[in-house]
Amino acid sequence: MSRFDLSGETVDIAALRASLQSSGSGGFCTFEGWVRDSNDGRDVDGLDYEAYDALARAEGERILQEAIARYGVDDVRCVHRVGQLHVGDLAVWIGVAAAHRDEAFRACRYVIDEIKHRLPIWKKEHYLDGDTAWVACTHEHEHARHDSPPAPFTPDYSRQTRLKEVGEAGQAKLGAARVLVIGAGGLGCPVLSYLAGAGVGTLGIIDGDRLEASNLHRQTMYDARDVGAFKARLAAKRIAALNPTVAVQTWTEPLHAGNATEVFAQFDLVVECTDDMGSRYLSNDAALLAGKPLILASVHQYEGQLQVVSARPGASCLRCLWPHEPAPGLAGSCAESGVLGPVPGVLGALQAAEALKILLDIPRQDDGVLLLYNLLDHTSQRLSIDPASGCAAHGGCVEVARRAMARAQNLSLSFNQLDDAIAAGFTLVDVREPREIALEPLDAPSRQCPSSQVGDRLAELAGDRVLLVCASGRRSDYAARVLREKGLGDVHSLAGGVNALKRSA
Amino acid sequence: MITVTLQYFAQLREQAGAGGERLTTTAGSLGDLYDELRARHGFSLPADALKVAVNTQFSDWGRPLCDGDTIVFIPPVAGG
Repeated sequence: MSRFDLSGETVDIAALRASLQSSGSGGFCTFEGWVRDSNDGRDVDGLDYEAYDALARAEGERILQEAIARYGVDDVRCVHRVGQLHVGDLAVWIGVAAAHRDEAFRACRYVIDEIKHRLPIWKKEHYLDGDTAWVACTHEHEHARHDSPPAPFTPDYSRQTRLKEVGEAGQAKLGAARVLVIGAGGLGCPVLSYLAGAGVGTLGIIDGDRLEASNLHRQTMYDARDVGAFKARLAAKRIAALNPTVAVQTWTEPLHAGNATEVFAQFDLVVECTDDMGSRYLSNDAALLAGKPLILASVHQYEGQLQVVSARPGASCLRCLWPHEPAPGLAGSCAESGVLGPVPGVLGALQAAEALKILLDIPRQDDGVLLLYNLLDHTSQRLSIDPASGCAAHGGCVEVARRAMARAQNLSLSFNQLDDAIAAGFTLVDVREPREIALEPLDAPSRQCPSSQVGDRLAELAGDRVLLVCASGRRSDYAARVLREKGLGDVHSLAGGVNALKRSA
Repeated sequence: MITVTLQYFAQLREQAGAGGERLTTTAGSLGDLYDELRARHGFSLPADALKVAVNTQFSDWGRPLCDGDTIVFIPPVAGG
């Protein structure tokens, strides 16, 4: 999707504004540049804008990306006019949506200043006396100062290159490395901070969530004023401030079975830091299929678990330990069970250490092991996983992963309203608990079957085209995977659940 | 009768209200032992959702108990 546009036509401001509207944005700031009736003391009748089209579009897009990364705003659009304009016409329009007004104002200011300075656009002014002149749009002499000017920065990695296992050669390995971090929360914050600080060349960040105030006790990259913004973008902004030499790619949608393996293939190593069991099993399968090492960790209250899936032949994986994904709710979460802030901090730091050891080829002994840490009594256990006792009996880890990934294709489907799903031939099955359904019933005919029971009520659903619905999509995704594993083919899950329906309404 | 040391992790620790205990039991296997504990502590997780380790080695649910074993029940956890 391009955020920047050059247009020979009148700008449709209403459509641009609508494209930026989002329930998470609390501030919206626009700037309009108009054609003025005088310049440098001469009366102006109108002007022609001419652009080096391809370069202006590419540079414009870059400026908007920078504004998002630098200020952590939700979204930005900009249209610059080209062609003939008259006095009073709109020449440039910029809109910024953000969680709060402050970053919206600052990002908006940044975009107009950078556009004036960097875009290859020229204007030919028509004066009332019949004369014309080409005028550069740039304002070199008054180039704006932004709050964090890109001062030249040379990283100093001497404290780690002094280690004989690192050295300059190791540093070069880190600089060339590409690491994907899934989840920018309690585990992801230390992982991203340490990897960026160490000079890992490229970091990918995947997180579909926006920052909540309840995250701040353990998610140490963020500020109170960041609440409401996408964590992936906030993390990118923080990394740009910490080590500007690191390249960052962000995704604000979670991965799914249709793209996970492909995205993993673009990286050397993946660190799984989500609080979502479904995501952990998807990452396990994608890592095995893409042949990339995966570092898993998770926490519960005062404890944590760490497992490295090396994705090498004969090594063990998450499914070797727990073959089947537990139902949502059974595995607990920080929201349901509570967690002390430093617990994910410790486990995330361990993940970062494992990641650096793998990238640097420092000898490790932790593949094929489940590490348990208890921060209450400082005990840890190191349990060896026997690869022969896990997936080996079911065709091996890669084969098990391939079957799971095949079953999960096209699992979740998006609909704006439930009537559309019914028109498409789906039978709706509400998998929420009866008390949730009573509070907020679906506005379309549906059957009811709690997600924990779908596996036992297979016969009722066989033969139908089924769309499972829950509050967020998590339980319906899980239930759809269970039903597909039991042989039902045409079972799907409503993407984002009832919450997504409410948003699209 | 056999006496074993039990360690609980995550949800099991929460539901048992303790990180571990010493227990004298007549259970013949790890599976029987877990059934006994599940009835006593009201553990929500079924055995097939757990891993069990004896003396720091992952083990089969059919393994018989030996006097002095240290037995650890490990559920998958999801927090991050």
